[in-house]
Amino acid sequence: MIRNSLAALTLAVAAPLASAQTVSMCVFDVIGANGDVFNMVKDYALEMKAHGVDFELKPYTDEGVAVGDFNAGQCDAVAATDIRIRPFNRFTGSISAVGALPTYDDLKTLLATLAQPKAASLMKENGYEVLGIVPAGAGYLFVNDRGIDTAGELAGKRVATLDYQKDAIHMVNYVKATVVPSDITNFAGKFNNGSVDTAYAPAFAYEALELYKGIGDKGGIVDYPLAQLTIQVVARDDVLEDGLAQKAREVAWGMYPQAMNLIDTQEKAIPDGQWIRIPDKDITGYQEMFRENRLEMRDGVNGAPDVYHPKMLSLLSKIRCASNPGASECTAENRE
Amino acid sequence: MIFSMLTQVRHVLARLRAMVAVSVVILLAGCSANPIYQTTGIVLSNYSESEATPYVMQMSDPRMACALGEGTDALMYSFSRIIDAPDSTGSLLMLLAGNCMEYRAWEAELDYLRAEYHGNVPAAKDAREMSKRLYAITAERRYEAYQRAMAAYDFDPAAEPMECPFLFTDQDELTFLLGLLTGLQAIVNDANSGALAGVPRNIAPRAERAAQCVDNEKWGGLPNAVRALVWLLIPDTRPELSPDPWVVLENSAEMGVKAGIRASHAVQVVASETFGRPDVLASTIAEFAETEEQIDVWDTYRLVDHVARSVVTFSSDKHWTRNYGHRTPASFFGKMTAERDTSNVETMSLDGLL
Repeated sequence: MIRNSLAALTLAVAAPLASAQTVSMCVFDVIGANGDVFNMVKDYALEMKAHGVDFELKPYTDEGVAVGDFNAGQCDAVAATDIRIRPFNRFTGSISAVGALPTYDDLKTLLATLAQPKAASLMKENGYEVLGIVPAGAGYLFVNDRGIDTAGELAGKRVATLDYQKDAIHMVNYVKATVVPSDITNFAGKFNNGSVDTAYAPAFAYEALELYKGIGDKGGIVDYPLAQLTIQVVARDDVLEDGLAQKAREVAWGMYPQAMNLIDTQEKAIPDGQWIRIPDKDITGYQEMFRENRLEMRDGVNGAPDVYHPKMLSLLSKIRCASNPGASECTAENRE
Repeated sequence: MIFSMLTQVRHVLARLRAMVAVSVVILLAGCSANPIYQTTGIVLSNYSESEATPYVMQMSDPRMACALGEGTDALMYSFSRIIDAPDSTGSLLMLLAGNCMEYRAWEAELDYLRAEYHGNVPAAKDAREMSKRLYAITAERRYEAYQRAMAAYDFDPAAEPMECPFLFTDQDELTFLLGLLTGLQAIVNDANSGALAGVPRNIAPRAERAAQCVDNEKWGGLPNAVRALVWLLIPDTRPELSPDPWVVLENSAEMGVKAGIRASHAVQVVASETFGRPDVLASTIAEFAETEEQIDVWDTYRLVDHVARSVVTFSSDKHWTRNYGHRTPASFFGKMTAERDTSNVETMSLDGLL
């Protein structure tokens, strides 16, 4: 008797020896799975595997889509810049508050502070939990004319501004410059073809996006960190139990030197002559200007958007005053 | 008497010979380089370009070719100390040497994925660290190959507006094109090393522009595949009226099969991994496997097709190792799962035998 076999035979597949908790993660990197951020997240995932968490990484070159997929439940976690993380955790999303962390040493103090178990409650908000923060580099102002070296000179200039970054839009308006709405994929083109006078970005963009073209012979990069960008991993609160979530944050903090090496390489790739140094007296003025704007954006007053978390601003102020106790803000009545 | 005169003449002649020899040595010492070295360098350089390169390009053994690159690059390129740098041959040799290092990095990466599959984190970390180091060396070699390829044709990739180089022969065109591709690979390798090599990332937009200097159809769609990959990496570089990069990559892959040189498939595979398109990855590997029996490989550049095959195979191996803990079984190349399609296979009843 002849009969047909309808079943598809399957090769015996040995299951992995260790049974780990699987967590899918949408990872944003401007150049996808072969990018520096994605590779760093791979290291993070490998470290977490030792703690029983198996992250499945999916690359995204569009940050908006990565966060959208996370919102839609396509991933259990997302790795994105803190500007996009603000809706999930306003506290950690305020790390990139304008002018709030003028040095990498201050950033280091902050991230070490936030990695402590004591900070765990601040990592949870609205049903989401932050599972790690790593630096992505300070944002600098790229200008097509070295004459734009004071805030006053920005008046009337066109600035490529991320259209979802409310604090940046506010600052551009504050200095009486013109907002030219842009996104990560097109701001460089606008700067390079002269349709804007200035753009802000981390050092990474100088070489990869050829921002030296927009700088040309007359421009430069203002040597003052406008904001500290970070990559943050956020998951729904129930994805990892508290102990594991804390371990994840400590693992991310352990990657600080690796991330800083990368940033250091990117900043060193910029020729010295491209930097526009700002006199110390001007810096003091800018610090106060940024501080006043942060206060407005904390309280949502004078037409400012309500975007910064008061506790983060307070912590950042403490860090700045610890490293620079003589600053006038440290004795100001309206201290953050 | 006559005997003693002859002896004296012999002595004088011997002294003369010695004096001439000393004079030649003194003369040569005054030159900037030994003319024999110069002649050897020129002969070797010309021989490499006219005979060795075409010979190697016809080979079907990428591992042997890469060993040649590693073994002879230093010797060949050392002639740049006494003659014009043999950049075109030097570019290809360094490209091959880069492939060698990448093969080692691949093995380390597969070790990492295998250890991760088995939940052995220390072994996985060790292998990942190893792969990073090897990718860093790969990136350095490839960056060097890219620079030599640009120098070989006096091409300044930073020039604005861009001026295409003079490429007289097919070999020149391919060397230039492979140089651009190698530059892009250097960026990918550097990222996978944790940026240990510090390869400048502006190679990508420059390669996009320079790829337009080479005929797309002739080279199996590879120039457009390079461009499409950069459009995906840096959307700003994409011309306004250009088609979707994924459509361009698919078109290039088809052209590659027609031309008998499937390098575009390798670019398509890298793009689908980079941008998280498992659907494209699966179909590209499947298409590549399907064409194995049908393709009429372009004999003159057989090696390029075989190197592309090793890239596609590695990509498949990565997928299999990540999901099953081992490389792609030979009969499964082209498939992404371990399911055998055995439906509609007739079997006999065993009732009468039991």
